[in-house]
Amino acid sequence: MVRLLTNDVSVGYGDVMIVKHLSVQIPDQKITTIIGSNGCGKSTLLKAITRIISHQSGSVLLDGRDISKENTKILAKKMAILPQTPEGAAGLTAGELVSYGRFPYQNGFGRLTKKDYEVIDWALEVTGTLEYKFRPVDALSGGQRQRVWIAMALAQETDIIFLDEPTTYLDMAHQLEVLELLQRLNREQQRTIIMVLHDLNQAARFADYIIALKDGEMVKAGTCAEVIVPEVLREVFQIDAVIGRDPRTNKPMCITYNLLKGEKQQHEKNIPALYAHAGSAY
Amino acid sequence: MIHPVLVKKQRFILGIALLLILVTMIGGMGLGYSSLSYDRLLPTLMGQGTFKEEFVLYSVRLPRILITLLAGMALALSGAILQGITRNDLADPGIIGINAGAGVAIAVFFLFFPIEAGSFVYLLPLVAFGGAVLTAFFIYVLAYSKNAGLQPVSLVLIGVGFSLALSGAMIVLISASDRTKVDFIAKWLAGNIWGTDWPFIWALLPWLVVLVPFTLYKANRLNLLGLSEPAAIGVGVSVERERIHMLLTAVALAASAVSVTGGISFIGLMAPHIAKALVGPRNQLFIPVAVLLGGWLLLFADTLGRNIIEPSGVPAGVMVSFIGAPYFVYLLLKK
Repeated sequence: MVRLLTNDVSVGYGDVMIVKHLSVQIPDQKITTIIGSNGCGKSTLLKAITRIISHQSGSVLLDGRDISKENTKILAKKMAILPQTPEGAAGLTAGELVSYGRFPYQNGFGRLTKKDYEVIDWALEVTGTLEYKFRPVDALSGGQRQRVWIAMALAQETDIIFLDEPTTYLDMAHQLEVLELLQRLNREQQRTIIMVLHDLNQAARFADYIIALKDGEMVKAGTCAEVIVPEVLREVFQIDAVIGRDPRTNKPMCITYNLLKGEKQQHEKNIPALYAHAGSAY
Repeated sequence: MIHPVLVKKQRFILGIALLLILVTMIGGMGLGYSSLSYDRLLPTLMGQGTFKEEFVLYSVRLPRILITLLAGMALALSGAILQGITRNDLADPGIIGINAGAGVAIAVFFLFFPIEAGSFVYLLPLVAFGGAVLTAFFIYVLAYSKNAGLQPVSLVLIGVGFSLALSGAMIVLISASDRTKVDFIAKWLAGNIWGTDWPFIWALLPWLVVLVPFTLYKANRLNLLGLSEPAAIGVGVSVERERIHMLLTAVALAASAVSVTGGISFIGLMAPHIAKALVGPRNQLFIPVAVLLGGWLLLFADTLGRNIIEPSGVPAGVMVSFIGAPYFVYLLLKK
């Protein structure tokens, strides 16, 4: 029995259902990645599991209890969230931002205890941001800032950490830096990590378990060897992909891809017309 | 986690603000239509003044000074809270429609209910309070969407809409009524500090005594509400509940202040702003600064206003707007 699962969950805005009757089980102490094309409901699913938005029907269970009925502070001791493009830290130092992660353990005026200070320093240390402790978050680079936000999530000392596209807006080196940090947290401290990723190859490289969504429904869930295959990618992304193996990690990777035939023809039809138009101008 | 240097700076600024308040208070005690020279202040305070001196000080000037000080503090705190929960630096109880709500309630009450001099004084703050709460309630309900929760942008927009609509309603109300009654309401709207007697101080003081510590107690939560909503939920803040509590607090403060001073805006905008510019965005640091600055600003504006044109003076609300409107434009341009 896994700790975290969804049971026939549907989420929507108004009448439009974004996630439809989804039942997924999140393997404990593994890295799970949710993939899918834009608007498939992957972020929405993440938000529903983390109680950021409420779901219309079904249930999300953590340790056998429905999260919509659970005390939110107790949940915050069990799961932490790094939202997509977090903001609002203007004027704060990295240390202060990380100290906010101690909120679920505080009461009253929010004085930090010795234990809190230890955890904050530890979180900064693990994420390699200890040197920025007294620096304003605004003054940090994108990658540094993202690591500070991850440190804030770590300061919550939760077994489960959710991340919504943690590599967005980062350059390639910083993307890898963040993903490797998450991998270390998973391998060394057995934390369950669930994230939404855009990049298929990053998902394949770092995830133990992949959930592929299309139009709010699950197409396939399993190990990367099971999910990163041409048939699934055809269904999920409408691409014709060539799957090989990463020579370094031996994980499956998408070497190249084309749009599916039907859509390709449409594009070809448009392009000559464009050229013809351009030609006439010369 | 706050840097000790910053805490020291905040203490220093608090000290300066207190000094400014003290100087303005003493200045205000000696200024006015009736003369009370500065060298007679101390003896009068010690109880050795003449009857006239004591009357001027204790029944005219001191109540007014204290009322403006307390009302300014309440408005500043209210603005600080509203800016926090809406994550909008332009939020202010006036802009969000709370002043107009209290105004309409006062106008309706004043025009249509029989007045008994004794209870009237004590009922007015209650009526204004009710009007403000009702307005805030409607604004909240309309700004609330089932899926996205309370949208800060729509809260401000609907607040502005309500403010305009209620001002219109007020004009309809007073255009059809008796001259003398309209006079009182018109003065009320201009922010002419009308409640200048000790009972009004006792009506206002408890709110501050309770709600300033309460807000400071909630400062940490306000900090978290200042992050994005998902981040606040993620660390375990009951966002919706905290917003309602803080909104009620802000409404109570603004309503209690406005009900004794009349329609005063901009204090709630300026004071938190200046405070944040001075000591940064941490609620536990800037709120005390904002409260003192708000008190001082209104006190200063009123002290100036009541001495500019003798004997009736310029209403404090108008004085504040003279300072506040350009500041508001400056903020908009800076953005």
